[in-house]
Amino acid sequence: MGRERLVDVLPGRERHLVTRFSYGLTPALAADVRKAGGAQAWFEDQLTAPTKVADGPAEQVRGWWPDLDRGPLDLWKRNVSEVRGGWEVMGDYSRWLLNRRIRTRRPVHEKMTEFWEAMLHVPVSGDAQFTWRVDYGETIRGHALGRFDQLLPAAITHPAMLIFLSAATSTKKAPNENLGRELLELHTLGVGNYTEDDVKASARILTGWNVDLWESWKASYVSDDHWTGRVEVAGFSHRNKDPDGRAVTREYLRHLAHHPRTAHHLCLRLATKFVRQDPPAALVRRLAKVYLAHDTAIVPVLQALVASKEFRASAGKKLRDPSEDVVATYRALGVEVRRPHSGESSANAMLWQAENIGLAPHAWPRPDGSPVDDDTWASPARALASMDVHWSLSGGWWPTQDVTYRMAASWVPKKGIKFRDLVDAVSRELLHQPASKRLLVTAAHATGCRPKEKITRDHELVKWAFPRLLAAVLDSPDHLAC
Amino acid sequence: MTSPLAPSPGTGASACGCPEYTSLALSRRALLGSALVAGGAISLGGSTRAYAVGASSSASSSARRSPTGAVLVVLSLRGAADGLSLVVPHGDPVYYAARPRIAIPHAALLVPDAMFGLHPAMAPLTDLWTSGRLAAVHATGMATPNRSHFAAMEAVEDAAPGSRERNGWLNRLLGELPGSSPLQGTAMGGQIPTSLFGAQPAFVVDRVNGAKVAGADADGRRLAALRHAWSGRTPMDRAVRDALTGAQSFGAARDLPAGQPATAYPDSDLGRALSDVSRIIRAQVGADVITLDQGDWDMHTDLGTVEWGDLQRNAGDLAGSLAAFFADLGALGEQVTLVTISEFGRRVRENDSYGTDHGFGNVMLVAGGGVRGGSYYGRWPGLSDTSDADLLVTTDYRSVLSEVITRRFGVSTASVFPSFAPTPVGVMV
Repeated sequence: MGRERLVDVLPGRERHLVTRFSYGLTPALAADVRKAGGAQAWFEDQLTAPTKVADGPAEQVRGWWPDLDRGPLDLWKRNVSEVRGGWEVMGDYSRWLLNRRIRTRRPVHEKMTEFWEAMLHVPVSGDAQFTWRVDYGETIRGHALGRFDQLLPAAITHPAMLIFLSAATSTKKAPNENLGRELLELHTLGVGNYTEDDVKASARILTGWNVDLWESWKASYVSDDHWTGRVEVAGFSHRNKDPDGRAVTREYLRHLAHHPRTAHHLCLRLATKFVRQDPPAALVRRLAKVYLAHDTAIVPVLQALVASKEFRASAGKKLRDPSEDVVATYRALGVEVRRPHSGESSANAMLWQAENIGLAPHAWPRPDGSPVDDDTWASPARALASMDVHWSLSGGWWPTQDVTYRMAASWVPKKGIKFRDLVDAVSRELLHQPASKRLLVTAAHATGCRPKEKITRDHELVKWAFPRLLAAVLDSPDHLAC
Repeated sequence: MTSPLAPSPGTGASACGCPEYTSLALSRRALLGSALVAGGAISLGGSTRAYAVGASSSASSSARRSPTGAVLVVLSLRGAADGLSLVVPHGDPVYYAARPRIAIPHAALLVPDAMFGLHPAMAPLTDLWTSGRLAAVHATGMATPNRSHFAAMEAVEDAAPGSRERNGWLNRLLGELPGSSPLQGTAMGGQIPTSLFGAQPAFVVDRVNGAKVAGADADGRRLAALRHAWSGRTPMDRAVRDALTGAQSFGAARDLPAGQPATAYPDSDLGRALSDVSRIIRAQVGADVITLDQGDWDMHTDLGTVEWGDLQRNAGDLAGSLAAFFADLGALGEQVTLVTISEFGRRVRENDSYGTDHGFGNVMLVAGGGVRGGSYYGRWPGLSDTSDADLLVTTDYRSVLSEVITRRFGVSTASVFPSFAPTPVGVMV
């Protein structure tokens, strides 16, 4: 090995926990895990004291996209005067997330931010809500390991959400049902657990929250717009006499956050994302109990989830979604991404790679957010696109600006190495596990090399065909799934 | 490479000791229908990527066609389109009373009869209409209302209420047609829609030009490796194998340039997708059923008026894209029947934001081969003007689809729409 020692891999159970709750298990991350005292201790630290590990390199990338720090009115004016379009700033936002995920040493917080941002979804595309979208992400980030009864009101009354689901202009005259319905179906109780009367009352409660669209973009509460009179929704009842409906909104959202159907809906999504598609009902019930018993606190639910036998039995059974695929591939290959200087720079271009595979971060065009199941991402189009991205990164063919790829020769010691040992070394580095027999056979198919064949630095494999080996590893179930 | 291919393909799979992954059971279908996810604003130019290794094998495309040569294109208007704005019931006075701001004035309507007329933004479709190749069926939908986008899409595309089986109506239709190529059922976009999900293989393609295996080499090693790695039974194993098979026979479509019809395709996601659909059909790679989506129909705000708004824009895109598509197909358009479906319709009364909320009944457009065009079909139930009022459903959408597939493919609908007795609509020859 050019990089000397063979990667020392974590035991299978630890690999599983860290892989599922990170963006790819690299040798550097494994070192963090060992330093923390093993995967379980690492996970506890990640949940309860994420700031224990310094995260400078991840924090640093924010400065690569300065427009992310502009306010709504500033962004809007620049959009109108065609200095910089809102969609370009939103591209920056997605790029920032991808690069942050590649670098962060606090992956559990990052993953949970991503999880809630997808569940309480406000798409990054949109003529109006882009003005508030970065702030929306920051708001969710602040609550990602907190309590759902605090996260929910912060998200639902945020200007980005109000704009996206039509509540920012809804009035008592003919209340707009968009947010009132999706709040019940997508953000809390779940489909089938509310009535049309609930939707109407939900929409009435939410009238009054306002954003000054197309002008100042300021958020305010307009009591004149608030519908007053008794409201009843899913066990919540209120006289709602005060034209200032902010208090009734808070009480309503608190009621929903603590509702058993919300507990079930939310834990089903958590288990689908972090355990497996179609999680066992008994597991979801147990998690929902923990959620309710801990006043909607998220950390105890995650602790119960990873302690479950269902979690332990789920290793390697989740398909990576498009963004996870891109991020894990950059991490696996150890691609060094530098500050971008153009759209073709890798820090920027990786957005197109995620789009190519199927979805840029938070670009899902519908209110139900990026799917957490596997079937959605198990399509032939995705398969071809993943192979395409893996291929171009394996060869270092694209992107080529502001990026450094590892040289093929660095994988091979001066004295040479048997092909099967080389595959094992690559597997340990890219997949954090010894090469399986299936992987060895796959690699042999891809390259034409025999297992005992001696590979030296002037072998054709190293000289020009190394991408075939790397792509075969990245295209395998061991990388596509986690 | 000089070394011989070490293991022979096929022997490694059974001997392989790895993978718990293969035990992953095929499970619940995606909750979601598909959506055209590709970002409209950004795209990666193919010319920026050149790969050093290998030339793509120009696959031998064995052109095959369904026995009748028919192709069915199903266009989903995602988000629940407002059928009352697309095909306006100008003869019903309640329409104007319930929509004081957003109603389309009678004088602006196209090809009106005593009751209905098309939205003026649909002007590109008047030729198809007057030449008898486009029709509308109004007041269609499911038997009972479902106002959840996601549950309704699922139910519409399952089209088998009461059944717990995980297969969509188009997948069941494929089961009735000869052949087993994944290309027979092709979805444009990134995901398999509920309608195509099921036992029969399906192909999914975002853009025709991208439907190939990157780095595939003349010696076939990359394909052999991929087939070995993905010989299991998970959904992804199947997707990879369908991708490899499909991409191989898809060469003819990739080789065919995009059409340049006299009526140009709009520069939109839908325009680009239909241009690709036309290439797939013209290349005759064996597609029987093709699905695609047009998004952004969920107009709670700013649906707008006859002069401005999202409806005018989306309807114009729809009409322009369909007109270009049939112009592009030319005489081949006789073999192609296109149907539009939306998960539900909008309420009769407008809300306070120049929009409409979730409703029930809707309109379906039917265009192309075998259509008795130039007419409005369906029984009008009459509108009422209350805050809850819906357009009621008088024609089950499955009756429309049954008529299309029995007339075009000559198959029985008993297994496509189990325990459903269609009623005649009259929209197909």
